[in-house]
Amino acid sequence: MKGKLGPFWVLAVVLALVLAACGGDDDGGDDSGDNGTTETTEAASGGDDGGEDGGEAGEEVSLRVLVHQNPPLTDYMTDFNAQFEADNPGVTIDMEIVAPGGDYATAVNARLAAADVDVIDYCIDPCAGFSTPVEDYMGDNVEAPAWQQLIQAGLVMDITDEPFVQNFDEASIQDAATFEDSVYAINMGRVSYSGMFVNNDLLAEVGVDLPTTWDELVAACDTINATGNFCMTQGGADGWPIFVGAYGLLGAAFPDQAALAEGLWTGDIKWNEGEGLALMEKFQIYAQDMLEPGVTGLGHNEATARYAAGDVAFLPTGVWQAPVLEESEPGFDWTYVPFPGSDNAEDNQYLFGKYDMSWMIASDTPHPDIAKAYLAGLADPDNYQTFVDATGYLPTQPTATLNSKLGEAVAPLLENYRVGFEQYYISPTGAGQWANGSQAASWFDPFNEWTDAGELADQVQADLEAGLGG
Amino acid sequence: MAVMKKSYLFGGEKRWRNLAPIYFLLPGVLFYFIIALGPSIATSIYSLTDASGLRGADVNWIGFDNYDEFLFQGLASRDNIDATLRTLRFCAIVTLVQFSIGLILALLVNQKLRGRTFFRTLFFMPVILGVVIQGLMWKLFLQPRGGPMATIFGWFGAQSEFLGGQPDEAFMWVIVVQIWANVGITMVIFLAGMQTISSDLYEAAKIDGASGWQLFRDVTWPQLTPAVNTNFLLNIIGSLQAWQLFLVLTGYKAGTQVLGYLVFAEGFGQTGEAPSFRQGFAAAASMVLFFLVLVIGFFANRFVTWRERKFL
Amino acid sequence: MSVRERFGRSNPSLDMKLDEGTSMTTRSRQIRVVSYLLLGLVAVFYIWPLFMLVNTSMKTLPEYLKDPSGLAESITFENFVEAWQLANFPQYLWNSVLYTSVATAIFVASTLFVAFPIARGYFRGSNALLTLYVVALFLPPALIPQFQLILNLGLYNSRIGFISLFLINPIGMIIMVNYIKSIPKELDESAAVDGSGYLRFVFSIVFPLIRPAVATVTVLHAIGIWNELVLPTIYLSSSEKFPITRGLIVFEGVYGSNWPGIASAVLMLMLPMLVLFLLLQREIISGLTAGSIKG
Repeated sequence: MKGKLGPFWVLAVVLALVLAACGGDDDGGDDSGDNGTTETTEAASGGDDGGEDGGEAGEEVSLRVLVHQNPPLTDYMTDFNAQFEADNPGVTIDMEIVAPGGDYATAVNARLAAADVDVIDYCIDPCAGFSTPVEDYMGDNVEAPAWQQLIQAGLVMDITDEPFVQNFDEASIQDAATFEDSVYAINMGRVSYSGMFVNNDLLAEVGVDLPTTWDELVAACDTINATGNFCMTQGGADGWPIFVGAYGLLGAAFPDQAALAEGLWTGDIKWNEGEGLALMEKFQIYAQDMLEPGVTGLGHNEATARYAAGDVAFLPTGVWQAPVLEESEPGFDWTYVPFPGSDNAEDNQYLFGKYDMSWMIASDTPHPDIAKAYLAGLADPDNYQTFVDATGYLPTQPTATLNSKLGEAVAPLLENYRVGFEQYYISPTGAGQWANGSQAASWFDPFNEWTDAGELADQVQADLEAGLGG
Repeated sequence: MAVMKKSYLFGGEKRWRNLAPIYFLLPGVLFYFIIALGPSIATSIYSLTDASGLRGADVNWIGFDNYDEFLFQGLASRDNIDATLRTLRFCAIVTLVQFSIGLILALLVNQKLRGRTFFRTLFFMPVILGVVIQGLMWKLFLQPRGGPMATIFGWFGAQSEFLGGQPDEAFMWVIVVQIWANVGITMVIFLAGMQTISSDLYEAAKIDGASGWQLFRDVTWPQLTPAVNTNFLLNIIGSLQAWQLFLVLTGYKAGTQVLGYLVFAEGFGQTGEAPSFRQGFAAAASMVLFFLVLVIGFFANRFVTWRERKFL
Repeated sequence: MSVRERFGRSNPSLDMKLDEGTSMTTRSRQIRVVSYLLLGLVAVFYIWPLFMLVNTSMKTLPEYLKDPSGLAESITFENFVEAWQLANFPQYLWNSVLYTSVATAIFVASTLFVAFPIARGYFRGSNALLTLYVVALFLPPALIPQFQLILNLGLYNSRIGFISLFLINPIGMIIMVNYIKSIPKELDESAAVDGSGYLRFVFSIVFPLIRPAVATVTVLHAIGIWNELVLPTIYLSSSEKFPITRGLIVFEGVYGSNWPGIASAVLMLMLPMLVLFLLLQREIISGLTAGSIKG
């Protein structure tokens, strides 16, 4: 009895170690094996797959699509998928909808790692095109953003030579979909987040003109609050809407946001000096005086529904909320204007924003032709126009037009559109949790512990410099 | 002993009977090695690499760089150490309060009161509902705009943003929900302990003139030792590793992170704002958690053994 | 003291008769009043959130936004219909039941066969193995290597892979070992003399004797699986495989602003769970405790 357990122990330990080693090793080595299997299955299932049509006709193919949740987008995708399935007999679309934010990153990571997805909407917190990669001025002291990690790991298909890519405007291809001269994505639209929705009827009722400078805005809020209405509301429960709502202030203070990102890294710009400090003070007024009480309990979409009730004058948030607002059937006339963040009305003409969702193909999809056809369908100008109408994105195809009520409001401002800070900035490794000062609006009481703009500014700068390491 | 075993149970002519226990042992032990021990050992190996966790990405040995970054680099280390201390605070408060309330509730419902079954069932109910329903119920209950708790606060002229506001307040409310959700288990274990105490002991003590508090101190408490120990250990280990309520209630909010959540967020890209996948770093953070649990668990265990020797 | 004597008393369900209290002194009356007051105060915080849930589920969204805690103006089940259509809750519920029952059954059976020889010291290194299990009590969940392991076994997003994550529970093992130690060893010997096979011996003799411990371990383990939120987030990607925890959190993420909708969804999921709990509560509560207070 005793003797027999020796070999058993050896076996158990060896097994455990082998399994553990497999777990660790596969990152590099196992890849080819995995590809091998998928290729074999592909060959088996579509041996005569010379032309795209030949294989599809006879075979049941399921295209796995991962998309972030956004009600108008979901509606559009459902229709699009039905159409795609009708046009491509034998193909079914297996679309998974995941809420944007943390879970989305986990889903992308897990599904790519498991080779369990064909087409991905890149929406890893924030939902965006490719932001800035690691730039020279950052040195080594930085982690590459998730999209760059994905490409460098070889998980994303190079689609540079696909004709449908050319349907999009040059700027979007360059800024939002290209890494080291290759195109890996198509970007479906820009959004602006630095403006605010305005309740025209309420302003008329309380006798306030549409503010065009910061001082006018402060005065307007006082007047509105005095009438028992509220100046602004926001989706405070989700955290990010608070600081995104203040991006207009950031834009007014630093109109060149690429330079801001670089300046913070090089030390030419500091959060606790000059413009930076003034900005922190405005953030505080926005967070503490302008937002109505109790917004910490409102979710992002909930805040828009709440805004539709009519007793709030402004909702500073992204244009993507326009469809949600329309759906909530506001009983008032509304428009969308740049956030008047500067005392100089001239500086309040710009709309800042970012590229929003991008579609990518997993490099080892067993159905590359169908996946490409799927992207080609999404990029088709007619479909794209429908998409823009449904979602309210600012189009990245030169032929598309904005037809919505929002479009009317925003169209004249589009020549003043600029890409915002979010797309340029990465925090250095070792920086503290307060390092990204663009989010400081969400750190004031009642959202977090800070009550003094000056103290917070010093902390932000200290947290940032801790990562820059001198 | 060994000889006896061999001759009676596992000896005999038939070879299969001789081997049987090992074969039957195998599945359980294999599960243990493959699912628990193997990965745990691998965690320590992972923690020495810069693995991202993405398929196909390079993995390099970087020695103790992850630990260095976690504990010493810049001000991120301050946040990590804060999260570590917060984990300890969470454990201490939850253990103490849940233990005490559980004991009081058990004493109350152990009396022969009409409706005590109802109360037992009610207090145990959240355990069955699970962490998501617990969290959603309380998110609703703690709505700062006119929710019930806000109304109660209003009666006293107080005001709070609850889960969405000051990190310290939010942290406290998570503790409240954690205790609310799990005190039922603690209560039931105490209750079972109380029902094993022979009524003769109480009668004898009463004859000696003991009453109320003395009865509790001299009879109930010492006799309750096994239940006390079980609850103590379950609470400590459970609360050190519990963080799912944070996920539901506050999200990854600055100033409320605990270690378990930090591991998950770093490893699976949930840290917000341009996240990266950093499973090597996350593994290092989980090793820190491991040492914490090990040290505290060790002392808790020593304490429990000491109590057993004292009372039993 | 025999095993049955020792643990028969620990079952609270045996002791549920209500006492009418015919000869009450003033003092015990006072105690009674204070007890009810305290219990009532605590109970408020268990009943009120439940009530809030029911109330909210009856409201329309604008009604809720106007006054979250006010009483619903009318009783409507529209939110339930809507929530029912938006997510596949019966599927989630079924998945949870499946994962919990299968994983718990395999876990209990496999653990029994490890715990018994360990408790008896029937093989060399049994103490070392027990120590390993005690160490495992403190191990943080090895999320990351475990994830890579499941991926490489091709078990990502599969029910089998997900269930296999729950086949281990060191606390359960330790409870069983402790309990088995209290069973007299002579049983083994007489069984061996009778010529009983090992399998039959464990199932027909050991198992009935350690039922309380098995019940405890079963309940503890099942509650753990039922409540798990993180693992389904990591390991399951298609919604038809989600357990209710994951399904509900996704539902909240997707329809996060619509509290009346969420409240109805939560209620719909709670109802079968509560019914099941009320039917089985004696078993669950006594099961949870019978084995765990053994010294």
